[in-house]
Amino acid sequence: MMPTAQRRLLFLLLALLSAASVAIAAAIGSVPLGWDQWWAALLDSGSEFGELVWRLRLPRAAAAWTVGALLSLSGCLMQVLLRNPLADPYILGVSGGASFATLLGMSAGAAAALLPALAWAGALFSILIVFGLARGEGPWSGTRLLLTGVVTASGWAALISLLLTLGSDGSLRGMLFWLIGDLSYARLPSWAPAILLVIFALCFGMARSLNVLAMGETTARLLGEPTRKLLWVVYLLASVLTATAVSIAGNIGFVGLIVPHLMRLLVGSDHRVLLPAAAMFGGLFLVLSDTLARTVLAPRQLPVGVVTALLGVPLFLLLLNRARVKQ
Amino acid sequence: MNNGLACSALDVRIAGVHVVKDLEFAVRPGDFWALLGPNGIGKTTLLKCLAGLHEPGSGEVLLESRNIAELPRKLLARHIGMLQQHTVYVFDSSVLQTALTGRHPHLGYWEREGHRDLKMAEGALRAVDLAGFAGRSVTGLSGGEARRLAFATLLVQDPEFMLLDEPTNHLDLRHQVHIMGMIRERARQGRHAALAALHDINLAARYCSHVIMLFGDGQWCAGATPDMLSESSLQRLYGCPVERFESSGGPRFHPRAG
Repeated sequence: MMPTAQRRLLFLLLALLSAASVAIAAAIGSVPLGWDQWWAALLDSGSEFGELVWRLRLPRAAAAWTVGALLSLSGCLMQVLLRNPLADPYILGVSGGASFATLLGMSAGAAAALLPALAWAGALFSILIVFGLARGEGPWSGTRLLLTGVVTASGWAALISLLLTLGSDGSLRGMLFWLIGDLSYARLPSWAPAILLVIFALCFGMARSLNVLAMGETTARLLGEPTRKLLWVVYLLASVLTATAVSIAGNIGFVGLIVPHLMRLLVGSDHRVLLPAAAMFGGLFLVLSDTLARTVLAPRQLPVGVVTALLGVPLFLLLLNRARVKQ
Repeated sequence: MNNGLACSALDVRIAGVHVVKDLEFAVRPGDFWALLGPNGIGKTTLLKCLAGLHEPGSGEVLLESRNIAELPRKLLARHIGMLQQHTVYVFDSSVLQTALTGRHPHLGYWEREGHRDLKMAEGALRAVDLAGFAGRSVTGLSGGEARRLAFATLLVQDPEFMLLDEPTNHLDLRHQVHIMGMIRERARQGRHAALAALHDINLAARYCSHVIMLFGDGQWCAGATPDMLSESSLQRLYGCPVERFESSGGPRFHPRAG
């Protein structure tokens, strides 16, 4: 168990780094701002660059932070749910359903404003399919849930390939960006942070139960957890987190797999520390990744999903290697 | 009068094996029961049934006269604990943090482990000879160390009724004797009771106050240790000739060389 003082310091540090990442995101871009311009813009939205900072960069950074936190939190939950460190927010087909619905909308020429709603509808549909099929009678079976989810995800992948094959050349680029995960047109609806906050509070409240659940279902039951109920609650919460993230920014890969792992290596696996740390780190990681995505080949913008993988893989391998040496 | 953890007309089956038929027996505070029987006869299933993890075909398991099927899990976990036969740690965690999970059923939703809980966990780790391991990672433990940690977690959980599935598995001689002695001591103090599935008849003969035997086809037999352990009963139990020797600590049993 991490001492209280150390834990507070860690949370404070991550909160400060989060704020710093957003501040950096506001300063950097195709129009670079000097310190004084940046400061003036932050203080006064009516100043020369105020519009740029307050209408474009900050909302995008806020969306990035929220999506990163949603995905990381969802990843932590999925890994406990399936008791598998390889699980990620997309493994049970939530994003597949969302992607299919969105791409269908795109190929039918639906208005961009409609796409998040379509993504949500697709995600919800997929959640219900998997929930309905995997639930069944008898004891909870993680294997059945995993198989149902993975097979459902494969089904969506096939349908998505079909849409990509049939899609007009004009719509393909948009579809591809969405599938990789892109924040260029992301707008943060006000309910998304609300969902993040509410689900975070619920998970943080049951963090000790998650610790016990990570030791296996039987152990958890012996330690007093009504696991069947708990596992379905975790499944639904993780799915809603994923659906929210995907509806905002598409299938940004890797964040939800790697951030929980990185944080486990750094802060251990007590969920009372892990959940807040992963959420904050996921947020700031995605803000920085997106800032890079906007600037590295400016004025061209990369989909942020490319950057998360390019940054995440070496960072993860490095830490994994270091952890092994330490052991 | 404490009715303990009792079985009433209990019928347990699993995958074609009839574990017990019409089982009537009670584990009362102060008792240390040995559960004996050959491989695959259903010892683990019976323990799981008593822990509320396996549903009986008919009959009831009663915790102080209340059917455990109707009690909430959390309440159950404060009174009944079980050492499982295998413990696998998938996610990394420290030894101390794992031992602290034993406090889970005693804490409220938002509550954190307090000073007293920490002291209990440290005490339990000392009791199983893992005092210097508190900060170590659970994934790096040897088989015997992981076993002792699982036992320490059960001590931290501190249920009145301890169900133990082969508690001496993976343990060296010293730790076997140490842990069996600790369980007997807890029972003798009068507030706790234990039921341990064992394969070592002589550990049962030396440490246990009572023995229950499972013969297969639902047949069972339970009573005080001196009445239960005999050449003929053990021969019937294991299908193997057994010889009795007298030692300073009472009778001991060994398979007769074929």
